[in-house]
Parts: sequence; structure tokens; C-alpha cells
Amino acid sequence: MAFSGFDQNVVPSEMNQVIPLAKKDSPARIKMWLTIGFIAALIVASFIHLSVNPLDILTAPPTMLTFMADNFFPPNTEIVANSLPVIIETFFFAVIATYVSAVISFTLGILMSERLNRHAVVRRGVRYFVAFLRNIPVIIWGSLLVFIFGIGNIVGLIALTIATMGFLSRSYAESMNDIAGERLEAMYASGASYMQILVHGLIPEFMPAWLNWTLFSFEINIRASAILGMVGAGGMGMLINSQMNLRNFRSASMLIMILVGMILITEFTVGFLRRKMT
Amino acid sequence: MAEANTLLKISNLKKQYSKKEVLKGIDIEIKEGEFVVVIGPSGAGKSTFIRCINRMVDPTHGAIEFGGTDVAKLKGKALREARSNIGMIFQHYNLIGRTNVIKNVLHGRLGHNSFFKTLTGSYSDAEKREALTLLQKVGLGDHIYKKANALSGGQMQRVGICRAMMQDPKLLLADEPIASLDPKSAKVIMDQIHGLVTERNIACIMNLHQVQVAKDYATRIIGIKDGRVVYDGAPADLTEAMIADIYEGKAEEMELKTDNVAVGELAYGV
Repeated sequence: MAFSGFDQNVVPSEMNQVIPLAKKDSPARIKMWLTIGFIAALIVASFIHLSVNPLDILTAPPTMLTFMADNFFPPNTEIVANSLPVIIETFFFAVIATYVSAVISFTLGILMSERLNRHAVVRRGVRYFVAFLRNIPVIIWGSLLVFIFGIGNIVGLIALTIATMGFLSRSYAESMNDIAGERLEAMYASGASYMQILVHGLIPEFMPAWLNWTLFSFEINIRASAILGMVGAGGMGMLINSQMNLRNFRSASMLIMILVGMILITEFTVGFLRRKMT
Repeated sequence: MAEANTLLKISNLKKQYSKKEVLKGIDIEIKEGEFVVVIGPSGAGKSTFIRCINRMVDPTHGAIEFGGTDVAKLKGKALREARSNIGMIFQHYNLIGRTNVIKNVLHGRLGHNSFFKTLTGSYSDAEKREALTLLQKVGLGDHIYKKANALSGGQMQRVGICRAMMQDPKLLLADEPIASLDPKSAKVIMDQIHGLVTERNIACIMNLHQVQVAKDYATRIIGIKDGRVVYDGAPADLTEAMIADIYEGKAEEMELKTDNVAVGELAYGV
């Protein structure tokens, strides 16, 4: 028999007894059922409040597909040549926003890391400031800045840079904190100054994480820079939006396909670079 | 040889973490060229003790006289200067893994050089020659351009030794330098540390939990238990009964200790 060890320990009369894997009516079990009940109630309440019939959601996809098939196909290829400058623009938005914030976030990351910045007041201040930047979605930054600077590329750039800074600073700070423990201890112990430790210890060790997070945010920014156009902040989104409003669905569908292609290429390239680095 | 001078004088050293008092008043004098091994169960305060000496941990109370100043009171630049005269070797080597071996060794000079001089990595020829000599001495002459994280544990610790030696220290601290190594590498490391500090007349304070290894290398053994010194004397005078007393109430540590004696026998053939 496979479980010979088992046989020796179990008295034969108990052999047929069912062995439960968890205690019945244990607090954990009650908690689980309460959670399931709560989530179910929440879902039902949401549908009622929104007065949406759940069945309508099921019938939505066919409606969407019919509409798209009728209006979006075949995509209008003529628009490709006209939109080329805007496509390049979208790409450059992401490039500038990503790399400007990569530099600023490096400093902010150091200020946010408790192991690298011992001044609790400064650290907390920077943390709140970055949390504020991060928790306002990029599209809201965009629509806010449009009022300040008017419609144009500068709005997209600033909005994207601010949002990226919020994201990168926190990610950098976490990676830096991991490094700043044991790995830099020897440098502190040898009497190296703070700046020497940053240059000779932190930067070399942080480099992979730096590139990794930055490439990741570049990928996010390609997507975000398309969305930003919707609020008049420049880039491809603006073109897609105007074609939709003009009911030029076949042109819009072409642009959307280009956008998806662009995102896929970026994803693939970034994924390739990140794999190569590790 | 004339009576050696006192290098380090620790008096009434205490360290309190939020709830727990880890060091409860330690008084120790270390003379030049001594090889002191600190033994004791884990949690006894060995690591805190050794880290108080170079202020990697700030003591709550007490004085640490080293090189004519009280290290416990130093701040900023003066503290860095004191640290630059104290070498340290770590259990996990603490190298900059993505930087090559010779640069890691030269990191030992950072404390002796200004920021702008080190910014471009321009160390003096003498410093570079010394780094190379040290690396050749520990058998890493062929690996100087390898990234540190491409080395084995034993090799990493040898880089750690060279880095500490680059500081030209008067005192070397070693916190469990062989705890992560196999017995064979451990012996190499112990021999190299012992050889270098003897040759250069550097005093060494080392935490170990292998009692047999401590007896083989130390000129003096200090037993710490529950934040206090319970033994301070020659290795030869450390009896089995005293060892049992140091590890008393730590049954599992006792077993560990016995295991380590076995490891010691394996490695050192005692």
C-alpha cells in the first residue's frame, strides 16, 4: 500500500472515518460565508441603484459587434499618411514624459526612502506630495491643464510627466529601500560619505530596477498619451476623438488599429529589453 | 615584545531597543594586535555589541574610546573619519554586486578620499597597486574585473577582507564572517583574516558561533550572554563547563554549538 506509514498510526476501526480538512463552524469558515454574502449583496444593490438589467449586459456584445461591423469596416487607409505626424507625436510624448520623470523621480525616490532619508519631516512631505500627484488620474491632469495652457502639446506633456512622476517615485523608493539595507552597510561602515555611497553603491545596484521601472512606465505612457488627446491635450487621441465626432468611423477604426499596433510593438520591445537585462 | 598599548576601551556600554535592553553594561579593553573572538547564543547581543563600536548601531549609554576620542559622541565628518580607521567584514559580504571586484576593494578607500576625487573613480596608483596586491594575496588576482555577484560565497568574503584591509585599519570588526560558508571556504577565510591581521598588527574583534574555531584562532575569547560579559580570558582556560554555562537555557543553541564543533573538526581536523 502506498501510505504504509499511515496504516501504522491509524487504528483499524477508525480507518473508514471521514477526516475533515478544516474544523466545521470554525470562525474562519463563518467569516468566509459572511464575505461571500456581503459581496453578493453589494452586486445586487449596485444593479438596482444603477437601474441596469443584468440581461442587457449579456445582450450588449452582439449589439456592439453589429455596430462595429457595419460602421468600422473596412478601415479607411487613406488617413494613415495624414496622421503620421500625430502618431510620431504620441510616441515622443511618451519618450519625453518618461525620461524627464525618470530623472526627477530618482531624486524624489531617495527623499521618500526611509533608509536613505533620515529626515522624517522631509520624507513625509515628499511622500504626501507624490501621493497627491499619483492619485489624480492622468486624464484629469490633462483636462485641468487644458484650462491653464489651452489646447496643445504642452498640456499632454506636463500631464503625462506629472502622472509618471507619481508612479515612478514610489516604485523607485521601494527598490532603493531594498538596496539601502545590507548592501550599503559596508560603505557606511568604511566611513564613506553620503554622496559617495549614492554614487558608488546605490546607483550601480539600482540601475536594473531603474531601467525596469522606467521601461514599464514608458509602456503605460504610450497608452496614456493616446487617452490624453480625448481632452484636447494633443497626440493621437485628439485625432481619434475628432474622427468619431465627425462620425468618420472608418477613419477612427484605422487610427485605433494603429494605436493598438503601436502598443503591441512597445510591449514586445520593452518585454524583450527587460528580459535581456536580467 | 613590550606590553601592547590599549587600542579600544569600552566602558559601561548599553543598548536599549524600544522594549528590550540588548546590552546591559559592557566593559572591555582591547590591546593592539589582539585577536578577540566573541561567542554566545544568538540574541545575546554579539552583533549589537560589534556594531556599536563603529556606530552602525547607536549605543544608548557608555563610552567607546578609540584613537583618543569617544566614538560614542562623534557625529558627521568626525564619525566618518573614525569609521575609516575601523575595517568591517560581514556575514553576507555586503559587496556592490554589479560593480567589479577591484572597484569593490577600492571602496575601502572612499572614507579616506574626497567625494570629487572619487566621483570619476580616479584612485591613486598606490591605492590601485595595493588593491591588486591584496587581491593576488587572497588568490583573486585573475578575477579583478569580474562582477562581484559572479563570485562564490568564499570568493566574495575574500573581496570583503581586501576591502577592509584597503582602509589600512587599526581595528578590524568581523560579524559572523564564516556563518554562510562551507567548512572548507570557512577555513580559508579564517586563515586569511588571521594571517593579514597578524602581519599588519591589526586588532580584530570577531563574532563567531563556532566555539572550536574560536579556540583555534583567538588570543582571547569573550563570552556574551543576555547582554553581559560572562567570560573574558584565554582560549585555553575556556572549559566545557563554561561553554555550557554561556549557552545555558538555549538547548537548541547547544545542539547547534555541538554541530559546529563537528564542523570544526571536519574542517580543521582537530
